[in-house]
Amino acid sequence: MSLDELLATRSAIIVKTDVRAAFTGFARYRLYDRGSYEWLDVPADDRLGTIVEAFCGERKRCVASRVLRLVPGDYVLARHDPVRERGTIEVVVDLSPAPVEGAEVQYRQHGQVFFRMPCEPGTAAVVPCGPTVTANHSYVSKLRTGGEVVRWIAVFA
Amino acid sequence: MWQPLRDIAPLAEAWRTAEPFPHVVVDDYTPAGDLMTALDDFGVNRYESDLFAFEATAPDALDPLAAGFAATLGPQLAQITGKRIRSADMRAYAYRPGHYLLPHTDHQDGLERVLAYAYYLPTPEPPRGGELELYRCTVTGGTLATIEPAHVIEPAPWRLAVFDVSAVSLHQVREVLAGLRLSLAGWFYP
Repeated sequence: MSLDELLATRSAIIVKTDVRAAFTGFARYRLYDRGSYEWLDVPADDRLGTIVEAFCGERKRCVASRVLRLVPGDYVLARHDPVRERGTIEVVVDLSPAPVEGAEVQYRQHGQVFFRMPCEPGTAAVVPCGPTVTANHSYVSKLRTGGEVVRWIAVFA
Repeated sequence: MWQPLRDIAPLAEAWRTAEPFPHVVVDDYTPAGDLMTALDDFGVNRYESDLFAFEATAPDALDPLAAGFAATLGPQLAQITGKRIRSADMRAYAYRPGHYLLPHTDHQDGLERVLAYAYYLPTPEPPRGGELELYRCTVTGGTLATIEPAHVIEPAPWRLAVFDVSAVSLHQVREVLAGLRLSLAGWFYP
């Protein structure tokens, strides 16, 4: 890992956003050694591209766009995370109906968490990524009845 | 501290026929000494990752207890499971509300774990949740292709659960929703 890569990942931020969207037609993922969640691939959206442009000062191309929905008992482990290309930017928009305590996206470098995105509707995380970065969606506790986490995740290159 | 198991033959039969993968449950496996008082000397710390959240003793804190455990049970478990066993490790775990251990197999190349065990202890607040859940898996191309919940073992006091470690021995500790789940757990090694 280069110093540039280390510093880039440490520039991850959380911003306020007015991006709102509702999706239907989720499929459930059930390979429990990797994750338990619902997912839906969705088209790229200019609003997310604008968030990235404001962060890095240039327009980038969306290469992946997916919405994840997690309910109590759900999670996504870091080992399930796809390998990221060097220099990509990941945007996570929180579309959850309400905050869910303890539900986070945790970005890791060599296993160590360097950035946490709590479940706060109306916020977006912008995270510079590379091959040494993985992310997981923490377990959603069954103690929080009705907790629903919806995250729109797009990757820009 | 440890006493030998009784009636090995039915346990061996239970091991051979267990689903979704080999395991055996021994109830009323009470210790030969005052185990709970002995454990009072050891503190626990919180451990957390993407896979788990719980409190546990340091990895080697209970090595003397583990050595006696392996010396007493190892030869009998070898008869039950057909596996060579020479040593064990052991940690004490405290699962409080919100604690969990998500599905995993315990199988890692180079670690040589052959059996896993959980020994459930009495607790002042019996837990709701905290069950050991075993999954039935199929493998395609070296990875798990289908996974279905198949069997649940309740964390009853003085219950010893021993199960196989393999690429398909997927299991989890369900989230504790109330109370306190206390256990000793670890692996046996060849």
